[in-house]
Amino acid sequence: MWWKTLSVALIIYAITAGMLVPLKPGITYVSPGVVKSGQDITLRVFGYNSFYTKARADEIRIWLQFDESNAVLGQKTAILNDTTVEASFQMPSGMPEKGTFAMLNVIVDHPVDGVSLLPSAVEFRLDTTATSKAGWQDNPIEQLHIVKDLSYPYRNVIYESIRNTYYHVPMWFALMFMFLGSVIYSIRYLKSQHLDDDKKAVAFTEAGLLFGLLGLVTGMLWAHYAWGSAWSNDIKQLMTAVALLVYLAYFILRSSFDEPEKGARLSAVYNIFAFASLVPLLYIVPRMFASLHPGAEGSPAFGSQDLDNTMRMVFYPSIIGFSLLGLWLAQLRYRYAKIQDVLYDID
Amino acid sequence: MKFFQSIRFIILVLFLSIHLPIVQAQGNRDFMRETGKIYVVVGVILLIFLGIVLYLVRLDRKLTKLESQLNEEKNEQPH
Amino acid sequence: MQALPLFFTLLRKEFVIEFRQRYAISGIFLYVFSMVFVVYTASIKVQPQVWNILFWLIVLFASINAVVKSFVQESGARQLYYYQLVDPVILVLAKIVYNTILLLVLSLLAFGAYSVVAGNPVKDMKLFAIVVLLGSLGFGIAFTFIASIAAKANNSATLMAILSFPVIIPIILTLLRLSAISLRLIQDTSYKRDIINLLAIDTILIALTFILFPFIWRD
Repeated sequence: MWWKTLSVALIIYAITAGMLVPLKPGITYVSPGVVKSGQDITLRVFGYNSFYTKARADEIRIWLQFDESNAVLGQKTAILNDTTVEASFQMPSGMPEKGTFAMLNVIVDHPVDGVSLLPSAVEFRLDTTATSKAGWQDNPIEQLHIVKDLSYPYRNVIYESIRNTYYHVPMWFALMFMFLGSVIYSIRYLKSQHLDDDKKAVAFTEAGLLFGLLGLVTGMLWAHYAWGSAWSNDIKQLMTAVALLVYLAYFILRSSFDEPEKGARLSAVYNIFAFASLVPLLYIVPRMFASLHPGAEGSPAFGSQDLDNTMRMVFYPSIIGFSLLGLWLAQLRYRYAKIQDVLYDID
Repeated sequence: MKFFQSIRFIILVLFLSIHLPIVQAQGNRDFMRETGKIYVVVGVILLIFLGIVLYLVRLDRKLTKLESQLNEEKNEQPH
Repeated sequence: MQALPLFFTLLRKEFVIEFRQRYAISGIFLYVFSMVFVVYTASIKVQPQVWNILFWLIVLFASINAVVKSFVQESGARQLYYYQLVDPVILVLAKIVYNTILLLVLSLLAFGAYSVVAGNPVKDMKLFAIVVLLGSLGFGIAFTFIASIAAKANNSATLMAILSFPVIIPIILTLLRLSAISLRLIQDTSYKRDIINLLAIDTILIALTFILFPFIWRD
């Protein structure tokens, strides 16, 4: 069937494109991490995926940024190798705003690599409490080289594992599609009383459970390296676990009836009820609690910051590919149940 | 049953191939965190692959049972 | 019979049965009091945070035990009799209203006994009363529906717990949050949104119960 081929093609595309396209150049860290006011200091910037030697030293510009209009420009830039660059900074004696310290962003502009930024990279400590804008102004961050090429955004801490967006997140979408298919066939069963519809509902639920488990396990692996621990009681982790419990209960309910017709009817009813209670579980409750997951205020959708256009080109095909794969698995399970029926009828 | 033995073998080889570099890399730094955590992505893809394979193995076992039942019935029918 | 008188007849029937089988209801109340005293003996000084969680746990378990019998106690013959006479929607509505009232009484009693032995840290009584009311309503709807499914199966008590816990989690999380606000454990001025969420969940559940109950009922 054409859609099975399509699912395989899309998943192969998601794996190859997802793994082969490089990350944008980024900054891993800056050393030293603390600078004092009035200090004349040489900062060393460590890049990730960067090719600093592809430009002359005087073409590379490095800023320590306080805010939109206040920044210090680095002098005497020197390239040590592809991933290390140095510049000396004449730190001003005061700060544009009140306070005794501030976190400065580091911005590197490279004619070939483009712009890379590390937020809150350097701590700026003040000896006095003076507020003066002297030294911060006249260093406008402009004429930046915006490089348009095929690459994924660089994010600190997660680095290359941003590619998991194409493999971990589609599990979730596939789960939703599977459970949606399951509830549609449960409704159809209640209308038609045709046991085939019930078999389809079961097949979809099984595939959905598989994707739920995979989403949870892959999420735990990713969380271990991105958030520090595999299980951090994040509200979305909890809600996914609860959703899996709902559908495990569905299978226990099925198995506790002797007559298949009665079991099919009651589990169809529970399936619809459970799916409807998933909606508050996944869309209302997460908004009440803080989450480590991306998306504004725990909303299940991504914001535009989390997904750029290049990522969309892999992300959406991956969702379709894994969902079709789920459909395939469900179809196999359904055909198995169908054959089993025929075989038992002969007895 | 030969089929399952071969699957077990494949899974064993897969696990070994994951583990060997880890053991080698433990000398200096955490293997998974090296080279920008790319192996976390590899791990996730492998987990998904293994999950789907295990599902297929389960289905395969069920089908084998059905087949053996079918064969029994075929043998009974001539009598 | 008209829908409304029928509804009240069924509701009265529930109360009459409950009153006749007094051992069932007194068993539930005894259960609540024992739980409260277990809490008391386990920890003399209960922190507000713990108070909040323990209170809702007591109410949750007591509610499950109170509601699970509402369909099991009906014998097969009586069910067949209802089935021929009564519109299932009105029947389930009567059960829900009865169970909600029962759970409300239950949680108020639990609150009374609990605040005697473990103190009463509630700062905003008005909000807490609303939370208890909404909680009884949510538990009443969800548990009545699940009990009607579980009653059809063989091991209904176990099934009741397995089936209802996942479904009840959104309600209980919202309740815990709201009652924490009424205990002044969290500062949140926008708790009205949570109340609306809770009402929305209750509405979804009750609408589903009306649609789906006829399918459970038919045998």
